[in-house]
Amino acid sequence: MSNGKPGSDIDVKRFNQVFFEECAEHLAEMERILISLSDREPDQEQMNAIFRAAHSIKGGAGIFGFDDMTVVTHVMESLLDRLRKHEIGFTASMVDVLLEAGDVISMQLAGHREGSAVRQEAIDAVRGKLQRLVDNGPVSQPAAAAALPEPVPACEPVLSLCDDGALRRYELSFTPDDNIFRRGIRVESIIAELSELAEPGGFSSRAELVAVPRLEELDPESCLTRWHFNLTTQASSDQVMEVFMFVADEEQLSLRELPRETPAAAALPALPAAGPAPSAEPEPRLEGRRAYDRDETAPGAFGRRQGEMESSIRVNVTKVDQLINQVGELLITQAMLAQVAAELDPVRYETLHKGLAQLARNSRDLQGSVMSIRLVPISIVFSRFPRMVRELAARLGKSVDLKMVGETTELDKGLIEKVADPLSHLVRNALDHGLETSEARLASGKEATGTIQLKASQVAGRIAIEVSDDGAGLNRDKILAKASEAGVPYSESMSDEEVWQLIFAPGFSTADQVTDLSGRGVGMDVVLKNVQAMGGRVQIASQAGKGTCVTISLPLTLAILNGLSVAVGGEKFIIPLSAIIESLQPKSDQLKSVNGKQVVAVRGEYLPILRLHNLFNIETEVSDPRQGILVLVDLGGEKTALLVDALLDEQQVVVKSIETNYRRVEGSAGATILGDGRVALILDVAELFEMAKKAQPDPGPAKEAA
Amino acid sequence: MTMQGALRTEQNQARGAEFLTFTLAEETYGIDILRVQEIRGYDSVTRIANTPDFIKGVINLRGVIVPIVDLRLKFKVGQATYHEFTVVIIINVADKVVGMVVDGVSDVVALSEEQIKPAPEFGSALDTRYLTGLGTVNDDMLILIDIEKLVTSDEMQLMERLPEV
Repeated sequence: MSNGKPGSDIDVKRFNQVFFEECAEHLAEMERILISLSDREPDQEQMNAIFRAAHSIKGGAGIFGFDDMTVVTHVMESLLDRLRKHEIGFTASMVDVLLEAGDVISMQLAGHREGSAVRQEAIDAVRGKLQRLVDNGPVSQPAAAAALPEPVPACEPVLSLCDDGALRRYELSFTPDDNIFRRGIRVESIIAELSELAEPGGFSSRAELVAVPRLEELDPESCLTRWHFNLTTQASSDQVMEVFMFVADEEQLSLRELPRETPAAAALPALPAAGPAPSAEPEPRLEGRRAYDRDETAPGAFGRRQGEMESSIRVNVTKVDQLINQVGELLITQAMLAQVAAELDPVRYETLHKGLAQLARNSRDLQGSVMSIRLVPISIVFSRFPRMVRELAARLGKSVDLKMVGETTELDKGLIEKVADPLSHLVRNALDHGLETSEARLASGKEATGTIQLKASQVAGRIAIEVSDDGAGLNRDKILAKASEAGVPYSESMSDEEVWQLIFAPGFSTADQVTDLSGRGVGMDVVLKNVQAMGGRVQIASQAGKGTCVTISLPLTLAILNGLSVAVGGEKFIIPLSAIIESLQPKSDQLKSVNGKQVVAVRGEYLPILRLHNLFNIETEVSDPRQGILVLVDLGGEKTALLVDALLDEQQVVVKSIETNYRRVEGSAGATILGDGRVALILDVAELFEMAKKAQPDPGPAKEAA
Repeated sequence: MTMQGALRTEQNQARGAEFLTFTLAEETYGIDILRVQEIRGYDSVTRIANTPDFIKGVINLRGVIVPIVDLRLKFKVGQATYHEFTVVIIINVADKVVGMVVDGVSDVVALSEEQIKPAPEFGSALDTRYLTGLGTVNDDMLILIDIEKLVTSDEMQLMERLPEV
C-alpha cells in the first residue's frame, strides 16, 4: 500500500506536464491568430478559435489546481465571449491587450513549470485592462453585426438562441467511461459548474449505477455511475456542452432541450419565426460529441484540431536519441562487414556481396528515416518573429513588412533551439540598424514600408537561413571608423567582404546611438560564436542603399558529421569537412620560415603549419610537409594548415561523446567509431589552434625525426 | 536471534561477500563483483594525447566510448606487456564505465565478514586509502579495493571533477 503514494504523485506530475504542453500550444495558437488578424476584425471562426483556446486554458488550470491562471483567463474569456456574441464591437487595441494577456498567462505558466518569477503587478494590470474592455467596450452596432457574413451558419442558431434571454430547460444524461477518475477528472467540479449555469433552483441531478460488480471484482477507481441532470438556464446548449469539454469524446453524453413553456415555441422547428435564420433546429440531441467539434470539421474550419489532422505522437527526445544511436551502431557494423567482405573473392561470395550491398542501402535508408524524426520545421522559430517585428516596429516608429519564405524547411530539433537566439538578434539588427525610417526611405526614393525577409532553404546538405532587409546597407566608412575607435585591426585596402567581417569583432557596434534594442556592441560576435558552436558559418552581403543580407549556414544535424579521415602515424583522426578549405602537398619553394616557425605560402598567403603529430605526441615517419599532406582549415577568418601523413576517406561519421565515461579531451569535438570498430577522435580545429599557441615553439623540421 | 537480526546478517553476507580476484605482479586483489560489468581482451585502443602513461586510451565497447587504464603502469608493478591474453576488467562505477588492464583474472570468491581483516598501513602497491581490508582464502591473502573510490579519485585523472565521496 505504501507504494501507492509515490506512484500517484508521479501521475499528477505527468498530468501537469500534459497540461503545461497543451496550455503552451493553446497560447501559441491564440497568438498566431491574433497576429494574423493584423487589426482586421476576426471572423466568426477565428473568434471561436481564440475563445476556445482561452477557455481550454482556464478549464485546464482549474482542473489541475492552478487557480491563479484562471483569474486572467476568466476575464479574457468574458471579453471574448461578449465579442463573439457581438455584444461589444471589436477594436484594434483589443489585439494588443489580448496579446499582453497571453504573455501574462505564459509568465504564470512558466512560474508553475520552471518556478520562474511571476510579477503580480503585470497580472493585475492586464486584468484591469481586460475588465475595462469588457465593461466599456464599444457597443457593437446592430446593423454592422447583422451585415457580417456568417461563415459557419451552423453555429448561428446556437448563438441567436441565447440572445433572447429566455429560459430553457435541458435534460442531460452523462455516462462516463470507466477510466474517468484515473484520468484525473473530477465529476463534482463538472456538477458544480453546471449548477452555476442554472438559474436559482433550476438544477437537479440524479445518479444511478450502471453495473453492480461482485464485491471481489470491485475496482474503487472505476466509475460505474451514470448521472442525469435537469437544468433550467439562459445558457445555450453550446454553453452547457462546454462544461464537459475536458471529458473525452468517448463519454456518452446526451443533451436534450425540453419543449418550452410556451406551447407554440415547442412546436416550432424554426425560431425565431420571423428571422432570416436558417432552419433553427437548436441541436436538440448532441450525442457523445461536443457541439463545436462538429463545427470544426466543416471545410476550411479554423481551429485547434487543424494540426491534428496529420496524426502524430509525442515521444520523449531521449527515446529518439537512443534510436539514432542504435542506427549509428548498425551503420558501423555494416561498414565493418563491408570491410571484411571486401577481402573475399567476389565470384565465390557473390550472394554475400549482393546481400551486403542491399544491407548498406537499407541501413542508409533507415538512417535517413530515423534522422528525419528529429527534424522539425523551422516555422517553429520563425513563428515568433511576426509578433517581435510588430512590436519593435511600433516602438521604433518604422513601417515594416515581414516576409517569411521556406518555413517548412526542416532542421534538427537541437539546432532549432539554438538558432533562435542568433536569428532574433539578426532580425532585431535589421529592424533597428538596417531599415531606415519611413521619411528617410521616401527621401531616397524607396517605398515607405521596409521589408525584412526570413528565408530558409536546404543547400547541398546544409541549411541556409537568410535574414535580409532592403534598408540602407552596411556603411563601409562608418565600420572602418568604428574599427579604429574600438581598436580592431583593419586596413583601408580591405575588400568589402573583409570589412563586413569586422562587425563580428567583440564590442563592435555601428549604431549611432545605443537604443534599448540593440547597439550595445554585444551582438554579432555572440551570433558568430553561437553559430560556430553549431558547426555553422555566417556570411554577410551588403550593398549601400539596397540592403543587407546575413546568411547563417548550418549542418542538417549534430548527430552526424561529414568528415575527412586522415592518418597521423598509426592513428586516425576525423577533420570536420565544414572547416576544410583544401588539401595540398607543398613544394619546397612554398615552405618558408618565419621566426624559426615553418609557414606555407598558398596563393600569396602565409599560413602557419600545425603538426598534428606534435600536438598529439604521435610517432610518425612524416615530419616534412613535402612528404605529407597539408589540410588547410578555416577558423572563422583565420586560416591554418594541418600537417597529416595521408588523407584516407571522406565519410559520414556518427558523433559520440567521450565525456560519457571519460573527461574532455583537448583538441577534440567528440569521437566516432570507424568501420574497423576502432575509435577515432574528431578534431576541433579552433581548439587545436589554441593548443598550438600554448605549446612550445615549433622545433622545426630538423630535430623532429626523433 | 530475532527474525530481523537473522535477516540483517544474511543481507550483510550477501552484500559484502563476493569478490572478483585479479593479479598485479605478485599480489592478488579483490573487487566487489557487483561493480564488474564484463571481462574482455585488450585490443584496438585509441591513444589519447597528453594523458598520463597509465591511461592507455579509449575503446569502442558496443558503441560506447570507454577509457582504459593500465593498473600495472598506474601502480608501477609488473611488466606492462600487451598480448592476446592481456585482460581488461570493465567496471561500472559512479555512472561511468571504465576498463582496467590487469595481469590476470583469477576467480570469484565468497568471503564472510570474519575472513576480512582491516587493511595494514603499508605493504601494497596501492595507497591504503583505497583499500577496504584484507581477505584470507585458504592461506592466500587478498587485497580488497574500494574500486569506486579509486576510479573516481583525482590521481586516476579519469573524471572531470572529483565527485562527492
